[in-house]
Amino acid sequence: MTRSSLTDPPGGTLPRADRPAPSTVDSTVRMGFTQRLRRDWPFLVMTAPAAVLVVVFHYVPTLGNVIAFQDYNPFLGDSAVGSFLASPWIGFGNFMVLFEDPAFWDAVVNTLSITLFQLVFFFPLPVFLAILLNSVVSGKVRGFVQSVVYLPHFFSWVLVITFFVQMLGGAGLLAQVLRQHGFEPVAIMSNPDAFIVVVTAEGVWKDLGWGAIVFLAALAAIDQQLYESAAVDGAGRWRRLWHVTLPGLRPVIVLLLILRLGDALSVGFEQYILQRDAVGRQAAEVLDTYVYYQAIVPQQWGVGAAAGLFKGVVGLILILVANRLAHRLGEQGVYSGK
Amino acid sequence: MEPPLAEASADRRRFLGMLGLGAAAVLGGPALAACSRRPGGTGSATGADAIKAVLPAQKPMNPLAKPDIDGVGIIPDGYLRYPSTLVDQITEKPGRGGTYKAIAPWWGPTPPALGDNEYVKAVNADLGATVDTSQQDGSTYSDKLSALMGGRDVPDILVAPNWEVGKISRFADGVKALFEDLTDHLKGDAAARYPNLASFPTSAWEYSVWGGRLAAVPFPVDGPFAWLLYYRKDLVDAAGRKAPTNIDEFYRFGKEMTNASAGVWAFGSVFSIVQSMYRCAGSSESGWRKKSGGGLEFKYETPEYRAAVEFTAKLFKDGLVHPDVVASKGADEKQLFKGGKIIVYQDGGGAWRGMQSEQLKVLPTFNMQPMPLFGVGGDPVLHGTERPIFWTFIKKGTPKDKVEEILRILNWCAAPLGTKEWELREYGVEGKHFTRGPDGSPAPTELGRKEIGSQFRFLTGPIPSVVQTADVPNYVQDLLGYSNSHIKFLEKDIFAGLKLELPANYAKLNTPTEDKILDILRGRRPISDLDVVVKEWRAGGGDEGRAFLEKALSDNGR
Repeated sequence: MTRSSLTDPPGGTLPRADRPAPSTVDSTVRMGFTQRLRRDWPFLVMTAPAAVLVVVFHYVPTLGNVIAFQDYNPFLGDSAVGSFLASPWIGFGNFMVLFEDPAFWDAVVNTLSITLFQLVFFFPLPVFLAILLNSVVSGKVRGFVQSVVYLPHFFSWVLVITFFVQMLGGAGLLAQVLRQHGFEPVAIMSNPDAFIVVVTAEGVWKDLGWGAIVFLAALAAIDQQLYESAAVDGAGRWRRLWHVTLPGLRPVIVLLLILRLGDALSVGFEQYILQRDAVGRQAAEVLDTYVYYQAIVPQQWGVGAAAGLFKGVVGLILILVANRLAHRLGEQGVYSGK
Repeated sequence: MEPPLAEASADRRRFLGMLGLGAAAVLGGPALAACSRRPGGTGSATGADAIKAVLPAQKPMNPLAKPDIDGVGIIPDGYLRYPSTLVDQITEKPGRGGTYKAIAPWWGPTPPALGDNEYVKAVNADLGATVDTSQQDGSTYSDKLSALMGGRDVPDILVAPNWEVGKISRFADGVKALFEDLTDHLKGDAAARYPNLASFPTSAWEYSVWGGRLAAVPFPVDGPFAWLLYYRKDLVDAAGRKAPTNIDEFYRFGKEMTNASAGVWAFGSVFSIVQSMYRCAGSSESGWRKKSGGGLEFKYETPEYRAAVEFTAKLFKDGLVHPDVVASKGADEKQLFKGGKIIVYQDGGGAWRGMQSEQLKVLPTFNMQPMPLFGVGGDPVLHGTERPIFWTFIKKGTPKDKVEEILRILNWCAAPLGTKEWELREYGVEGKHFTRGPDGSPAPTELGRKEIGSQFRFLTGPIPSVVQTADVPNYVQDLLGYSNSHIKFLEKDIFAGLKLELPANYAKLNTPTEDKILDILRGRRPISDLDVVVKEWRAGGGDEGRAFLEKALSDNGR
């Protein structure tokens, strides 16, 4: 949604709305550049800020990826740009370092397992919440519940994790209550085996409500007449959910799923770095923390860029595959396949 | 949800296709390994002679009379009475109205910023310049430092702690590229223009040379011990116990002082001190020592270290360490210690005075003391260094007159005990930030504690000395008593006087290896895995580091 509109070429997005049929394309082409400019300039002005943001913060920094192939030393040359030019080229040396490091593969495996786990146990939850909220008739109750579940989204990870530690940590509320009643508390926050569940629970607590917004919007867009017709045909509550609501949500679900897959190698950073010492590197090292500790802290910038590039390439492949799969299933996906 | 756009997506697909080619090339990387080279610097060492040539001429200066307690060796001298009259040492304003950004580490709550801080205003008024210090969390300072330097975005004045620079590969390259060469300003008699800086011991300056040039102003070390093991003597006395005198008593002490259901655990972090008890090396580049048969060995490779790991892992396993310390990177051990939730923890020497002073107001019986240390099978091996605590760098490209202005400001910051400048820097303004006790010594007020951080105190230090003030009675006797009796256990740095820039492969090993050892300490990996960790460490760059350091030693005839 936001992503596809951001990455579109600035000029092309808006005028398209008023030329739905291919037959009008010819007339557009015949129009001179000045004519088109005269007609479209308000749109161009409106797109400009977003386009500038994308260029400055996405496209220009992308050029920095060249250091993945350099023994990059930021202190060579006279300026930041000079150091790119002065650093020696080393081919795939950084990738060799990366791929030979078992810790890197540990981080990849951890990241993928967390992504998979969250796809199964986190991704569907906002859909359920949206359907649930949508079925609440009282506007007051709905508004209240929405505010309560949206609120944690605006808390920082530091706060969320402190909250979890205060509640479930070794000296937290639960553990102290158990101790005071003569039980031995179980380690939750410092148990590497429970880590994947804990991070997912934290994510759910923080972002469940926020994730439901998109689905609520999609629910509102479903034609009410479909429900009425279905009801007339004798469909019960569950039948309507299955045959009207879920098909109505399907394009959005598929779209978000594809985007999530593209991000499969990013699961977050603060949340993991904050809990890394509690459960150890083996459970909590994800690709982003790996890059931080192996590349940024000891200033191995080239290796870090190589890891970033690897991540981007894998994400790209996953998006392409998922999108093709979506087309096979008759969905539109992120972009059309023609 | 607008429908995706037919034409644009076709373009995008072509673009994606191109990227796909790139991806294939990347994944086929190993095939191209033949024309690839691994990244990383090889390190460099500057010999002792090259360093001597650029040092400032030392001119001792001390406005005070003979100390009450002499410090042994590099231990600072102690004064039991606050000086009754203060010298107005710097009469001409050091500043010329310049505005400077500074960044320094700070271990505590962040004081209010420039605009809302009376202390900063007062010092800046006395300086005649505006120094705006950003204070960054000291425990993660190397992360900040490497990002600042890597981005070539350094402030006018940058403070770097001695224990952090080793973690940053190519630091010497960074010094050359980013910071002003101070040799011509300070070499030989030129330093006399900054009398407080010229009074620093030559050993402090020796460590401030990179690539044969004087690159930083040092903060002379005021206590050589890297760690002290603090304990809450008040709580231990109240429990009718005594500080342990051997390792078995230490463990029993931990058992007896832990009362989990009351939320009290005996220990916070203690691993560094346990290493000292087990006589591990730690002073020389964090743990090298000479082997009896020649050559060097690192602490990881020694039986002493294994024993220290075993003991500490047992403390964790038996639940003697506070769960918050187990569970998080940022557990605020100072808070837990103040609150009596942990009884013993390790910290730097700088933690003592401030905490004792602050907590006495809250709890009149509060008494933190460094635990007298013992060794296992011999004397303890205490880790520490004569290196300056911090180095202060000036941004490259600063005009000459601005460099001189900054150096005059640093000279002001180095005003010694007995001067008005020292008092203003340490305690702020009388009546606002401190009140004077009957003995004339300043006692910080609430505002003083809130507003005074490392803004000026860490820019550069005075020649060290300690003075008794009424807010911390007995502090000087306690500190010097401990220091003078423990200095004989301080391990000597075998690389003293050499400037080492360690090979990149070795420098980057630090965090990953310590992570693995943390896993063992916390019981997530068995002790026997230490052999694997050491093997990985040796192969990953440990042996390269050893060869580099052995060569540096033999090149200097050691």
